[in-house]
Amino acid sequence: MNAANSSQWLQPAFNDPVLDAQTSFRSALKALAEPGLAQPLNRALALESLHPATYALCLAFLDGDTPLWLAPRFDTPAIRANLAFHCGCPIVAERELALFALLDESELADLSAFDNGSERYPDQSCTLLIQLDALSNGAPLRWRGPGIKDVRCVELPLPAAFWQQRQARSAFPRGLDAFFAAGDQVIGLPRSTRVLLNAEEAA
Amino acid sequence: MNRDRPHSDMQHSDPHIATRQRWMGVLARAGGQLAAYESALKEADYRLIRAPEIGMTLVRGRMGGTGSPFNLGEMSVTRCVVRLADGRTGYSYVAGRDKQHAELAALADAHLQGAEQPHWLSRLIEPLAAAQQAQQGAKAAETATTQVEFFTLVRGED
Repeated sequence: MNAANSSQWLQPAFNDPVLDAQTSFRSALKALAEPGLAQPLNRALALESLHPATYALCLAFLDGDTPLWLAPRFDTPAIRANLAFHCGCPIVAERELALFALLDESELADLSAFDNGSERYPDQSCTLLIQLDALSNGAPLRWRGPGIKDVRCVELPLPAAFWQQRQARSAFPRGLDAFFAAGDQVIGLPRSTRVLLNAEEAA
Repeated sequence: MNRDRPHSDMQHSDPHIATRQRWMGVLARAGGQLAAYESALKEADYRLIRAPEIGMTLVRGRMGGTGSPFNLGEMSVTRCVVRLADGRTGYSYVAGRDKQHAELAALADAHLQGAEQPHWLSRLIEPLAAAQQAQQGAKAAETATTQVEFFTLVRGED
């Protein structure tokens, strides 16, 4: 796809590229530092089916060094053109090569191919950017771990298969970090957070 | 930074691209002269896809033009992308830190891609190109008076 064909899809991104990117990155950091607490992320406009928070995460995180895997729902000419223009990130077809993945809820049943880092470089894992319709009204689950005093109850509307997949890919320090975005809010789920799936684990 | 380099040898084989390269080059070298056309260029509705932003770029050179590349140094560059109401998109990359220049050059590039291309070529590009050529000629003439020629008869190497 060359520039002459894709320029018709281009939209403005952040109003203030420097400040908005810093603010969005800060919100994302806070989301990971306090897992389960929704953080505001409203500096971008929606881009087609991408919510403002999801697009702001993309604009803050992605650049020429971060290969991105796109879920089929987001693989449209407009999203490709704008990510290529504003972020300059390569879009890869193989999940194994991706440092970031842009997912919707239909992709959460199989996370096996994404890179969860190595013992020596656990930081090189793939970070999942997951767009949901809402960040509440799911089954209440109790989260605990760094950044959470005692226990935090989070109601993300996620299929049970996601939690199994996350568990399967987790071998600390290896694992997958995730951001859940909806509307103009984001919730972080780092690999260090333990999610209690049933009452017996509470003790 | 050598702005006066002859660029006829770098022409693209596609005539459309070659013409656009030429006007983008003229616009990039125009500097403050574009301000005179500001009201005409801003007549049409437009929005900024990428507001003018200043950055650095690494300039590389080749020894003698053909050797292996080396890093010459960094220079500041301002770039801008605009979209006219009818969807035409104009790009600009200009040397220096003049945001106004970058925005006007991008606007001119967008206008030059439309149906009124001959109008803009004759009104904007040709006068600017002529002025740049005259300036370049004057500078070359001024430099030529200081030229010194060295002759080596026998170097004693053979």
